[in-house]
Amino acid sequence: MSQTTAQTTGHVMGYRLRQKLAKYGAITAINFQNQLAYIWDTLNRSLFIIFIMFIFAQLWQAVYATRTAPEIAGLTLPGIIWYLLVAEMMELGKFRHDLKISEEVKDGSIAYTLVRPYHYLAYHFFNGLGETIVRMALVFGLGLPVVLYYAGRPDLELWQLPPILLVVLGAMLIDFCVLSTIGLLAFFTEDTASFRMIYQKFVFVIGGLMFPIDFLPDWLQWIARLLPFHLTTYAPARLFVDFSWTQFNHFLLLQLVWLGILGTILWVQYRSAARRLAVNGG
Amino acid sequence: MVRMDWLKQIGIEMRFLGVLVRLNLASAMEYRASFISQIVGMVINNSIMLLFWFFFFDRFGEVRGYDFQQVILLFGMVAFGFGIAMVLSGNIYQNLAYLIAQGRLDYYLVFPRHLLLHVIFSRMNISAIGDLTFGLVACLIVVPWRPATLLAILTAGLLAAAILTAYGVIAGSLSFFWGSAENASAQMFGSLITFALYPDTLFSGFSRTLLLSLLPAVLIGAIPAQLVRTLDVRLLLALLAAAAAGWLLAVALFSLGLRRYESGSAINVNL
Repeated sequence: MSQTTAQTTGHVMGYRLRQKLAKYGAITAINFQNQLAYIWDTLNRSLFIIFIMFIFAQLWQAVYATRTAPEIAGLTLPGIIWYLLVAEMMELGKFRHDLKISEEVKDGSIAYTLVRPYHYLAYHFFNGLGETIVRMALVFGLGLPVVLYYAGRPDLELWQLPPILLVVLGAMLIDFCVLSTIGLLAFFTEDTASFRMIYQKFVFVIGGLMFPIDFLPDWLQWIARLLPFHLTTYAPARLFVDFSWTQFNHFLLLQLVWLGILGTILWVQYRSAARRLAVNGG
Repeated sequence: MVRMDWLKQIGIEMRFLGVLVRLNLASAMEYRASFISQIVGMVINNSIMLLFWFFFFDRFGEVRGYDFQQVILLFGMVAFGFGIAMVLSGNIYQNLAYLIAQGRLDYYLVFPRHLLLHVIFSRMNISAIGDLTFGLVACLIVVPWRPATLLAILTAGLLAAAILTAYGVIAGSLSFFWGSAENASAQMFGSLITFALYPDTLFSGFSRTLLLSLLPAVLIGAIPAQLVRTLDVRLLLALLAAAAAGWLLAVALFSLGLRRYESGSAINVNL
């Protein structure tokens, strides 16, 4: 009797999980198609990568030309150029849902979206995923010719791609937690753009976007490695150019720890914000 | 007599533009907290970018003749020129492209004022006040406080702003020909600023020619900074010539495009 009940419960849970996956998968697919429908617009926005990769190639060629050793902090010139392409892909491919959340909070439309049959935060993640897949692919694809010209083929094997993509997913989840927290701050403060800008700048300097954090002074490197910013940019880019299982395990573990911390903060903030929500009908 | 009328007309237009800028500022200051936070935010933003260069030069020393002090001056001059341009005439590049594409020039067309100047001076970019302040302070940190140098900062900043504005008008005017050039003009303008913030000695050959012509980044960053450092009159003349050529081209393109302009059918209320 109890075995049958357990089986039935298991079937129901499995069915619900499949339904949820299908629902959120459909949200991702719809936004993915939407991005493809406006592909020229997205392509236009991504053209910046060509210029920035050209500038980076010139800058780092000049730096490496002054060195006698072919490597700086374990990175060769082709290595750093590839590193910067992946780091830029992570930054430029991000979805900016915090703006949408903050707008929804300010104009009150969050009241309508909260009653829809999906979880508000999960919706934003899966919706953004559809956008980010297209944007990352475009940024990578557009930057690729410049990088191939200056750095040649990457020192990467095919089997390394799945673990790198797992770290990319972890990076996106951490970024999602931080940006959602920033977006929900609109419940407490009117302007959230400045918080976002500060977060972005942290990613720029101690997150490894402008250069790998290995190039920072030791004391700052130590701080940067403790904070979550480098897990959104440096981690996937460094793994891409210099893969090792030790490094992969280290990044994944850190990502899980930070996801636990940031996820808890987000959850507490979301529950508190939902309670603060005042809807005036009319 | 004709010359007097011409001068009088310029005086009237200048006074009108002055009033527009004052009104834009007064309107922005109505929301005091937002006004201050945007400016302070931009100063912090720019300072963090300089932090990157600090760590870069701390680690790698001089690169192609540039050290940290020179990069501060370069960054300062670009920010100062950009700040002046966007504070005075915030309706350039993608904003101008948007107005043209949406048929929103109708509102400006009915006024007996110079159309292009009226349009671009009708908006003030508040965060650009932060750029302007940051740029000026950055320059003053690394240059000697001599009257000639201070005058050079002001002149070079104004000329860089004139070149930037002309470029912004050219980029925005593409909407007359392409239907909508919001993204393209934003890309053009963004690329110009990005290239301007890097040492010009990194680029040579074709790319350097490009940065002096189609994407005149050197003219808004490296050359103004060099002018402030060396006080070389030839550089001043070069900037003057570039600003004049840029404006001639901008006015010609805007006027040519205006002939193709079609009003929007949307009803807009401008308060």
